[in-house]
Amino acid sequence: MKERKRIVVTGMGTINAVAGNVADFKQALQDGICGIGPLDLFDTREFRTKNGGQIKDFSPRDYIPSQYSLKRMSRADQLSFSAVLEALRDAGLYPLPMELQEEMGVAIGGGSGGLFEAENFYGNLLNKGASRSRFSALSSIYCASSADRIASSFGLAGPKTTFMTACSAGGTALGYARDLIVSNHASIMLAGGVEPMCRITYAAFNALQSVEPDVCRPFDRDRAGLSLGEAAAIMVLEPLGEALARGAKIYAEILGYGISCDSFHMTAPDEKASGAVRSMQAALKDADLSLDDIDYINAHGTATPVNDLTETKAIKEVFGRRAYKIPVSSTKSMHAHTLGAAGALEGIVSVLALQNGFIPPTINYSKQDPQCDLDYVTEGARKANLRAVLSNSFAFGGNNTTVIFGKYSERGARNG
Amino acid sequence: MVEKSKWDMKKRVVVSGLGMVTPLGVGKDEFCQRLFGGECGIGEIKAFDTKDFTSHLGAEVTNFSPRDFISVKNLRRMDKISPMAVAAARLALEDAKIQVTVENRDRIGIILGTAFGATDVTLQFAENLLAQGPAAVNPILVPNTVMNAPAGHASIELGFRGVNTTVTHYAVSAEIAISYAAAEIRRGTADFILAGGVDILSKFYYESLARFHALSPAGGGTEGSMPFDETRNGFVAGEGCGIVCLESMESVKQRGSDYYCEIKGFGLGSSICGPTQWPRESAGVEKAVTRALKNSEVTAAEIDAVYAAANGGKDLDAAEAQAYEKLFTENRNKPSITAIKGALGESFSGGGLRACALALSIKEKLLPPTVGLIKPAFPLKYVISEQRKVNIKNALLSGISFGGTYACLVFSGRGD
Repeated sequence: MKERKRIVVTGMGTINAVAGNVADFKQALQDGICGIGPLDLFDTREFRTKNGGQIKDFSPRDYIPSQYSLKRMSRADQLSFSAVLEALRDAGLYPLPMELQEEMGVAIGGGSGGLFEAENFYGNLLNKGASRSRFSALSSIYCASSADRIASSFGLAGPKTTFMTACSAGGTALGYARDLIVSNHASIMLAGGVEPMCRITYAAFNALQSVEPDVCRPFDRDRAGLSLGEAAAIMVLEPLGEALARGAKIYAEILGYGISCDSFHMTAPDEKASGAVRSMQAALKDADLSLDDIDYINAHGTATPVNDLTETKAIKEVFGRRAYKIPVSSTKSMHAHTLGAAGALEGIVSVLALQNGFIPPTINYSKQDPQCDLDYVTEGARKANLRAVLSNSFAFGGNNTTVIFGKYSERGARNG
Repeated sequence: MVEKSKWDMKKRVVVSGLGMVTPLGVGKDEFCQRLFGGECGIGEIKAFDTKDFTSHLGAEVTNFSPRDFISVKNLRRMDKISPMAVAAARLALEDAKIQVTVENRDRIGIILGTAFGATDVTLQFAENLLAQGPAAVNPILVPNTVMNAPAGHASIELGFRGVNTTVTHYAVSAEIAISYAAAEIRRGTADFILAGGVDILSKFYYESLARFHALSPAGGGTEGSMPFDETRNGFVAGEGCGIVCLESMESVKQRGSDYYCEIKGFGLGSSICGPTQWPRESAGVEKAVTRALKNSEVTAAEIDAVYAAANGGKDLDAAEAQAYEKLFTENRNKPSITAIKGALGESFSGGGLRACALALSIKEKLLPPTVGLIKPAFPLKYVISEQRKVNIKNALLSGISFGGTYACLVFSGRGD
């Protein structure tokens, strides 16, 4: 069998609660900045909790040049579009050369889509009735809207799709996009995820009592739930050969990914951790790596009591005694849980860690949980030469995705 | 420790089981008999009042009893959409003669497409929130507001724990899901993957479509689904779930079981299009078909049949017909074209049902008529008023969506 095509990351773009671009995001991760605080996007007075990881003072025109119409773009559309522009610029592909458009595609992990705007629509429908509601507001309510906007604006003629597996969608989009390039269905892909903050989603997580009123404290003994966040995170993926040929900057390589299902409960993880174990194992198998090759784990680490315990168990089951030697951190303590964007945003975290040789910390941590006894990098960012990073995303519906990124080196990333 | 991955791009993928919940019956026998017999699944909507709307027809699923397929305990946690998916998944596994066991459950997965998910539950949740505030919202509703709920419920009810993901890209959700599943079988991540699509009619969804002037009779005339017809005036909304079971040729032979057809390959693409507009030009369709043929190593002249995406929409049908006129100029015996949305309406993720129907066509050597087509608007070789006997060696399943997204698959016969 022929050697599988190697797929590398050549551009990245993000906007999230701690940073409006990748360079600032790297700095924030190294400094351990917390982006979680009081929300002002909507009125939180009636809510039990008031905090979240909101992108403050987001003004789309600061990111999106005037030649692109913002008409009927949802917040999710605007955020993802902003991240795409940064990723293309970063990859040296803006303006996008005509010859690349033909086989360039886009895969987005979606979440709340246009629900932030839809709330006004729903309110109007409820109070004034259908005949006095503007149904055109619905044109960007569904999360597929973001990918459509991106493809149409840049004239992309390649594959286009949207994943909707809640908190693992962004990771799945990255893996799927890599596969499309490996199997020659696309020559270059924009892949990532987007999640806008909105009252409906905030209310849903509040109803499930999984939201922490203060700031989330992953792996801490007193952790009491997650902090909801919002973000867009996009990567440019292309084959190594093409990237080298055009002299592109190479951030890292996507070595593999795995998907599994708990088949246990819609909103609670399987306490035996079997689903999480299997998704990590599937990713390792796809990446053709041994347990010793993983130098850092970017945990799902939502800070709900059950997730962090389950994930810790799963890491121990997969890595055995080596689990205690691998730094594990949850950067959700900084940028909050960005649901549909999480897998992609934490993909960017993983790539930045590999490229710049550091391990981002778990912040907001103070009390050790005897059952969560791994190295959670709680004393601030750490310098480290990393060969491969494993990033977990686990979701409602029991959908788990793990993506593994490798440091790019000319001789090959496999054996570092 | 970690097994090596076995990615084989040339692995032959077959359809070995079919499951469906449709306006023309539940399960393949009833569906097959009624669809191929030229019955129409469209009638006056019964589930809700349409007197305030300009459209009154729909393709509703009736005579479906979820309790025949789902345990009472799990059914209590489901809404309207999930039982259809769970039942179709169960039927597909049974049809393929696969029993989920402790040994094989981690190698069985599901990749499901849904365009809109549980629109009814999301609206109910939003109404609840808007009318009574965050403290009054019902947490029980939350798990079903996410689009990955049907696949999650299917995995819990049926006990399989492999690859599990949900794709949402409007009218090509199911085609993309099936293409991804075929790719996953080739990547070796699962032995069996259930793939298809599910969408439901709700009053809100129906009204939204009506207000977008998407439904027949947009612009006047008689209401009805009339694909490729001169008098077509928009689509009729439908609902249902169609799921195919995919596995490798090696696997189906090894377990001594039968199969319907092979999935040779697929092609994906995009074109520039407004957010809610159907394509007006044929280039996008041509591109996706050409890519699918290339990926399948099949020429246009070798295509005997086409399951069209046409739904009676002015623009969609014209763009699709034009593409076939251009693509099949070389075929002396041009392919027979059928559009079963004439009988089943437009259910957006109806690509799952069309995949099931095409698999049956290949096995039975029979094409169903295009119900509603009387006066063809374009010069193609349609299957019009009655079923046609055709020995299908290769057929196209064409997926086209508003927003400019395309997914075409090539299904091939067994060569007997």
